Amino acid sequence: MTITDLPISSLVNKLRNKEITAREVIENYAKNIYEKEKNIKAFINLDIENALKRAEELDKMDEKKGLLFGVPVAVKDNMNVKNCETTAGSQILKGYISPYNATVVKKLEEENAIIIGKTNMDEFAMGSSNENSSFFPTHNPVNYDYVPGGSSGGSAASVKSEEALAALGSDTGGSVREPAAFCGVVGLKPTYGLVSRYGLIAFSSSLDQIGPLTRNVKDCAIMLNAIVGFDLHDETSVNIKKEDYTSFLGKEIKGKRIGIIKEVMDFNIQDEIKEELKKTVSTLVKLGATVTEISIAHLKYALPAYYIVAPSEASSNLSRFDGVRYGLTVQGENLTSTYELTRAEGFGKEVKRRILIGTFALSAGYYDAYYLKASKVRKILANEFEKAFEAVDTLLLPTTATTAFKLGEKKSPLEMYMSDIFTIPVNLAGLPSISVPHGNDKNGLPIGMQFIGNWFKEKELLQIAYAVENG
Amino acid sequence: MIDIDKIEKLAALKLKEKEKKAILNDLEEIIHYFEILKEVDTENVEPQIYTKGAQLFLRKDEIENGLNKEALEKNKTLASGNFYRVKHIIGE
Amino acid sequence: MNEYKPTIGLEIHIQLNTKTKLFCGCSTQFGEKPNTHICPVCLGLPGALPVLNEKAVEYGIKLGLALNMKINKESTFYRKNYFYPDLPKGYQITQYTIPIASEGFLEIKTEKGKRKISIQRGHIEEDSGKSIHTGDITESTYSYIDFNRSGVPLMEIVTYPDIETAEEAYHFLVLLRKTVRYLGVSSGDMEKGALRCDVNVSLSKSNTMGTKVEIKNLNSFRSIRKALEYEIKRQTEMLKNGEKTIHETRHFDEKTGITKSMRTKEELNDYRYFPEPDLPPLLLNKALVEDIKNSLPELPTQKEERFIRQYLLSDAYAYEITSSTELADYFESIAKATGKPKEAANFLMGSIMKFLNETEKTISEIGFDEKKFIEFFSLLEKGIISKNIAKEIIIESLKTGKSPKKIVEEKGLIQITDENKIEEIVQQVLKENPEAVSRYLSGKTQILGFLAGQVMKKTKGKANPQIANKLLAEALNKMKQ
Repeated sequence: MTITDLPISSLVNKLRNKEITAREVIENYAKNIYEKEKNIKAFINLDIENALKRAEELDKMDEKKGLLFGVPVAVKDNMNVKNCETTAGSQILKGYISPYNATVVKKLEEENAIIIGKTNMDEFAMGSSNENSSFFPTHNPVNYDYVPGGSSGGSAASVKSEEALAALGSDTGGSVREPAAFCGVVGLKPTYGLVSRYGLIAFSSSLDQIGPLTRNVKDCAIMLNAIVGFDLHDETSVNIKKEDYTSFLGKEIKGKRIGIIKEVMDFNIQDEIKEELKKTVSTLVKLGATVTEISIAHLKYALPAYYIVAPSEASSNLSRFDGVRYGLTVQGENLTSTYELTRAEGFGKEVKRRILIGTFALSAGYYDAYYLKASKVRKILANEFEKAFEAVDTLLLPTTATTAFKLGEKKSPLEMYMSDIFTIPVNLAGLPSISVPHGNDKNGLPIGMQFIGNWFKEKELLQIAYAVENG
Repeated sequence: MIDIDKIEKLAALKLKEKEKKAILNDLEEIIHYFEILKEVDTENVEPQIYTKGAQLFLRKDEIENGLNKEALEKNKTLASGNFYRVKHIIGE
Repeated sequence: MNEYKPTIGLEIHIQLNTKTKLFCGCSTQFGEKPNTHICPVCLGLPGALPVLNEKAVEYGIKLGLALNMKINKESTFYRKNYFYPDLPKGYQITQYTIPIASEGFLEIKTEKGKRKISIQRGHIEEDSGKSIHTGDITESTYSYIDFNRSGVPLMEIVTYPDIETAEEAYHFLVLLRKTVRYLGVSSGDMEKGALRCDVNVSLSKSNTMGTKVEIKNLNSFRSIRKALEYEIKRQTEMLKNGEKTIHETRHFDEKTGITKSMRTKEELNDYRYFPEPDLPPLLLNKALVEDIKNSLPELPTQKEERFIRQYLLSDAYAYEITSSTELADYFESIAKATGKPKEAANFLMGSIMKFLNETEKTISEIGFDEKKFIEFFSLLEKGIISKNIAKEIIIESLKTGKSPKKIVEEKGLIQITDENKIEEIVQQVLKENPEAVSRYLSGKTQILGFLAGQVMKKTKGKANPQIANKLLAEALNKMKQ
């Protein structure tokens, strides 16, 4: 096994045993980056020099503490890393230097991970293909003509291409799971509130969660251990007992109850994905789990509800970008025109669309019919999931209805929004969910299977995902 | 149906003429798609914003370190007197 | 009598004097160098999140209770969205549908008597930064923004349009300010922006409300009273002439004392209120609110009424003495220590207040404590000093910090009670003022006061007034014969 093949626990062990040095690790990953980055373009900013410096510091340490000791991690560019440029994929934040660390970044550093760069993303996390990045698109490492998915496309691609061992992404409507599925890596969205959002540039506050992208389920569990925790800086983070998310991995899943969502079949799903779903069911049955059909009657209303709630919150969250204290400033004749010009030039088309939709949905006369209505539909969905989890432990469905599409293929916004039909309901309910690679389509493009767990039941969720991965 | 000029003003976004028509089309299509929610009976349903276990905790009234001038000026140079400077606010 | 009845409502913002801001740990200290008390949260940096200050909640509850309001067990925060350079996030976090406190009142006392002014709501919100403008609007000049104030906690109090005169509005504000000072939740200083007030006023003949006019830019209680008086007059004129008043915002000009119409875009603003997703609902348990209720200090009106009952003070004195807790506490400690509340009040309201006003000191800065007061009263009681000299002694003690006893010793101010000595002086005075004497003898007995005054003057106030008067009267009677 080469250094860059090593999963997290093996890498950490070898470093602790001094079989390899952290400097070697970074050098090897840097080699991958230099070879592949020009084709993939997963990163907006790389800092190999800094990574090497950090590696040298780690090598000097006597006690090699930290869950992620020496692990090269890529961080999505919507998380503040102190003294680094943080763009959220947008021109309006080009040149913005973070004066503080996001809590998850702080945690990565406390666990002695090595942050090697900031990954490319759809602007302000709005998108499903990374094509909305205002800088450049990212290419799927499996086939460069295809999108890696989005909005954490850069993070997913960097893990698939072995430019990083693990990455952090953010998931508001599927932005960790969908690119994970498209690229053939593991991607987890934790329960809402489990991971601090402090320092994550907000898209939709009641939906955003930070999650890991990794090569396998065990690495995912280790990353989760590193980043979860109650944070005094985030009122939406929950104060629950800390768990070890690796502790159930490898335990048998005999007797676990798996639910297949009936309404999923109402959608147009690619044949190979339907096949993989069947195969996954077989594996689960073989491992002793029971598989039953579950109804989430209002599943199809999740998408429209999401596309009201998320842009509404986003329209407010993005109001702080006015050019006064940071970021792009386009001077107008007066203050109002300065705002208008700065934002018109700084924001891309999709962002503008969503800000306008959100502004509309919150405006006087429309609030009740749109934002309030969507929030009620959200409640109905959450209730249906809650009921489902009385009957089953985990839900299984495809992560996406199709495999990756070609760059430039999707024409209209609504077409693009459809990529998230199976991931969005999870965010609306605040449930944890993981995408695990499972086979490829006839063109060799990866397929992902999605497991949805009960609130705060990541241990069991990872247990089942691990069983399927290794089953 | 959509008063795009009013929404632009509220959002402090000035669309360029050439993109305005296309975006307005997109918006109308998307908002038309939202009509499907009318099918859902939401009578007597409470809206959901906060998820399970959401509890507001209270911070102690103790001073914490903030950002110094150096940190601020990584992004915008402050005008003399240590102010942020903007173009005059018209009609104030 | 104005046939048109005014209907006045007040919207007051009170800065809560917590150590740190509402949603972050930055200092709220006033008057510091611009942009030195800011952090990612109050500067609105991307990724920052609000965390609620427990002291601000406590102060909000305190004030709500003191205003006889119901403290709502559950209240939520909302976003109020609009663009302005001193609003870093592009929205203000405030409360909207359910505030922390609702439905209360404040009972005020005017010349007409007592009235309960109803209060609709009290809610907690964050303050914006401060903008300073230079130059004329017509020139292309700049505005300067200081974010030190951004995020400071405010409590907004909104009254029902219950107030009927400018006078009432004034008294309401005075009592409100006193109350926040008594509670220690705010300085209430308008000069420092710790208390801001907008008013709205409408006039109508019938029971239906007239068109509301809002008045802004009111920088003192005096201005508020003047602005209301002017506005009531203005609207009355209009209505009498058959003109209709319009729903608008007007700006009060301090210098000219008139209100002018303001054409602001703010009227067109749609704030798109929605629940703040970064803050779960605020849940207050009964025990907490009970604790705070039980720990409320005695409030101004209660103290005032108690001082009248307990210490037999006049209405005027009780009002003045309870204008601040410092003064009231001072008075009460003296009253208790000396057992002479009325006398203490007299000297306090007389010499001591005069001294404070002249020197601009506060009651806590002067050292005229219980001990000195006891000593002072004892000197008076024992007749060692005369009433006339008493004032002089207090002033000297306030100035120098020396005890009354010491001053009497040093300055030789012991009262003269020796009748022989006084008789000598009396004789001198009579000799030196023949005209006055003859006027007295011719029947103008009031002149006795003047002659007595001369005796006091000669003795530098030290002569015992009763003895002096007695001897003077006797001497003059002798001369009659």
